[in-house]
Amino acid sequence: MTISIWRYSHLALAVSSFVFILLASLTGIILAFEPISEQIQPYKVSGFDELTASETISVFKDKYSEVLSLEIDANDFVTASVFTDEGGSLTGFFNPITADFIGEKPEVSKFFQFVTSLHRSLFLKSIGRFFVGLCSFLLFLITVSGTVLILKRQGGVRKFFTKVVNESFAQYWHVVLGRATLIPIIIITLTGVYLSLEKFNVFPADKKSHLIDFEQINATPQLNINDFPVLKDVQLSDVEHVEFPFSDDVEDYYTIKFQTKELVINQFTGEVLSVIEDPLINVLSKLSLKLHTGEGSIIWSFILLIATVNILFFIYSGFAMTLKRRAFRIKNKFTKNNSEYVILVGSENGGTLLFANALKKELIFNGKRVFVAELNKYTIYKNIKHLIVLTSTYGEGEAPANATNFLKLLEKIKQNQSFDYSVVGFGSLSYPDFCKFAFDVDKSLQDQNIKQLLPPFTINDKSFNSFEQWVALWSKAVGTQLSISSDAFHTIPKNTVPFKVVSKTNKEDNPDDTFRLVLKPKKKLRFTSGDLLAIYPKDDYNERLYSIAKVNGNMHLSVKCHLNGLGSNYLNDLVVNKQLKARVIQNKNFHFPKKTDRVIMIGNGTGIIPFIGMLAGNSKKIDTHLYCGVRTKRAFNLYQPEISTYLKDGNLTKLTIAYSKEEYKVYVQDLITGDSDFIMETLLSEGVLMVCGSLVMYKGVLDALEQICLANKLNINDFRHLIKSDCY
Amino acid sequence: MKKVFKITFFATVAILVLSVYSFTLKPATTKYKCMMQMINYTGEGAYVVISLINPEGAYEKTLYVQGDDSEWYHDITEWWKFYGKKRSDLDAITGETIAGGARTISVIEIDDDKVNSGYKIRFETAVEDQEYYTKDAEFELTSESVKSKVEGTGFLRYVRMLPN
Repeated sequence: MTISIWRYSHLALAVSSFVFILLASLTGIILAFEPISEQIQPYKVSGFDELTASETISVFKDKYSEVLSLEIDANDFVTASVFTDEGGSLTGFFNPITADFIGEKPEVSKFFQFVTSLHRSLFLKSIGRFFVGLCSFLLFLITVSGTVLILKRQGGVRKFFTKVVNESFAQYWHVVLGRATLIPIIIITLTGVYLSLEKFNVFPADKKSHLIDFEQINATPQLNINDFPVLKDVQLSDVEHVEFPFSDDVEDYYTIKFQTKELVINQFTGEVLSVIEDPLINVLSKLSLKLHTGEGSIIWSFILLIATVNILFFIYSGFAMTLKRRAFRIKNKFTKNNSEYVILVGSENGGTLLFANALKKELIFNGKRVFVAELNKYTIYKNIKHLIVLTSTYGEGEAPANATNFLKLLEKIKQNQSFDYSVVGFGSLSYPDFCKFAFDVDKSLQDQNIKQLLPPFTINDKSFNSFEQWVALWSKAVGTQLSISSDAFHTIPKNTVPFKVVSKTNKEDNPDDTFRLVLKPKKKLRFTSGDLLAIYPKDDYNERLYSIAKVNGNMHLSVKCHLNGLGSNYLNDLVVNKQLKARVIQNKNFHFPKKTDRVIMIGNGTGIIPFIGMLAGNSKKIDTHLYCGVRTKRAFNLYQPEISTYLKDGNLTKLTIAYSKEEYKVYVQDLITGDSDFIMETLLSEGVLMVCGSLVMYKGVLDALEQICLANKLNINDFRHLIKSDCY
Repeated sequence: MKKVFKITFFATVAILVLSVYSFTLKPATTKYKCMMQMINYTGEGAYVVISLINPEGAYEKTLYVQGDDSEWYHDITEWWKFYGKKRSDLDAITGETIAGGARTISVIEIDDDKVNSGYKIRFETAVEDQEYYTKDAEFELTSESVKSKVEGTGFLRYVRMLPN
């Protein structure tokens, strides 16, 4: 399947360099401990930060017959090389205050030396260095392309740090950790590239040497080193290295290296004989080395360590995702021109293809000729009769990777014969723009005057049961009978939590076989009216969703019992105090609005239940109007007592009921048409409409709203953001 | 007879004691400061090996090695023929490589009887991916030369020595 150029490069770069990156990361993880182990050595002397350079230099000169050199490393340890009065020599760590010898400089551990060499050059000298540098650069490019992918996924720069939707372990943590370690990894890679380039002399070498006019050197006036004007107020911590005069000749001098310059100083008069400022290249080199190795800072070493461990994880999770994606490949038995059924798939990760293949298999089993393709491959299909679009949505309602061009292609390519279409949207209710691209596709197909066989159907969280429902609807519409095999969808319910049954009404008491169920979560659980409860009647892939209401911390469900209904009968068989395991699905799009002046609730049948919870929670007494559709007066008894209370308390402003099986058959959409002025006024003043119940009712309500808008010379699409729905 | 025996015995003991004593007695040595100033070349730091050469022109002892990464030692080919066979412990007499234009002072220790007796001191230099100089600087050890300055012919600009 086609994947976007960014994803393709991200993968191609990773594939081509992962062996080296793996090696470099493993060795890098080990090397991160080197600066840490160095720093915890006890050679730093307290009071170091207050010392001046001349104090330390003179204390050394007084104590030893000869001092060769003095060095201050990144850990603020002072090393020196001296001759003692007894003629022996000492080299190692010294106390900068007393000039006492503290200890031998430990040898660079053979182990770290070995690992460093492997990390730098893989023991291949220059060739190895080149490869390591190149891979560091590739890793940088991988980071950049990864950043672009995150930007696309999250929908822009400003949303870069918003919540990531958890689709799978590998994918979720790849994105989350990638984002968290982005900056350290960019620093590691760029400094790594710089350090490698430096070894190949790419940077202009700007080597200056000290030019000293030996003719002009004077041995007088002689000053004590503490009085050298140039060393006045110079802190020892600013000095990197001091080289003492080789002999008492006036031509021999002090060479003092500071962080950014090197001074040559007359050993008697303190006169500065020559200054060399470090070229920018040197400053950069030093910075790169510090940032790359973490030398001198335990915290930074630790950050580098974490980032490097993450690189290992990225290699694992990246390949895990790729292998999963590759499992979804399109294979066709029939050609595009002799197939009557064309299934077009839009998918980012290949998940949707699973459904397409299941449908294809079943159609072929029933003797149909089917062709499956990606949406981006849309072309002329000479024998097309039925088009089925199965598509997910990427980011903020955008097309998934292999469907980006479909809408354009659709305008250009005209089929030679008439056909009908059906769109199925796959998505997750935890995204704000649930299945938006599927709706866009549906609209574009409609605009092309292609016959819509079924309204767009949405499937949450790859629910096999929703898909099964759609297949039943669709096969009925095309006049066949299909039964999709669930073999391809082995999923075990996860993230379920236990509930206790608090109370339950009898379905026999209700003319529509509907009953109410009250559950209490056994553990603390966050949920809101309008969310969905997923139950697993057979403890397998079979999933049933119910809208829920939250009243006094309990969860209320309204369930209509169907003959042979898997979920409804399972719930009906529950008895009080029994336990039930289920999962709450957040349905943010169907929560009661917090900031609005008016809410209109439209619901029929069991779709009234979430409104019960919302009204119970309407403590701010927002102006709320409820339109209910039920079959009979007796059927409404299930909700009557609570709603009466809400009316009395002011939680509900007005209630209007439509009875569809009483003397005057009224549907809830008729109520909307009847109150058209009120509805229009609500929409114009940014009031919110909430619709819950059957899809037929939803379609009826939408039609009614469209008519109302048209009558006012307005377009319903301008009010889409005010209409929230949860229909099934 | 008995007397002769006694004398021989004492003589043997005396010789033994003397010889043991003379073996344990360390020969007198002097420490020298040795400054190596490099020319302005570009590239990696230079490896510098300081060796004591006997009057026959063969390696006698390694005095100092600038460059602590032993994986490169075999690139210093002449010295490697001497050192590579035995691989004596160099830990106490190694330092870091010396970059172009830089200089380093190290402390070397030479037996006093090697001075003024035909022994030479040799400075061998090599830089990764660049030249190798077997005799970058070499001079006979005399009371004069051990406090002098000697020009190099390769990566070394000059070498200065000073007894402590």
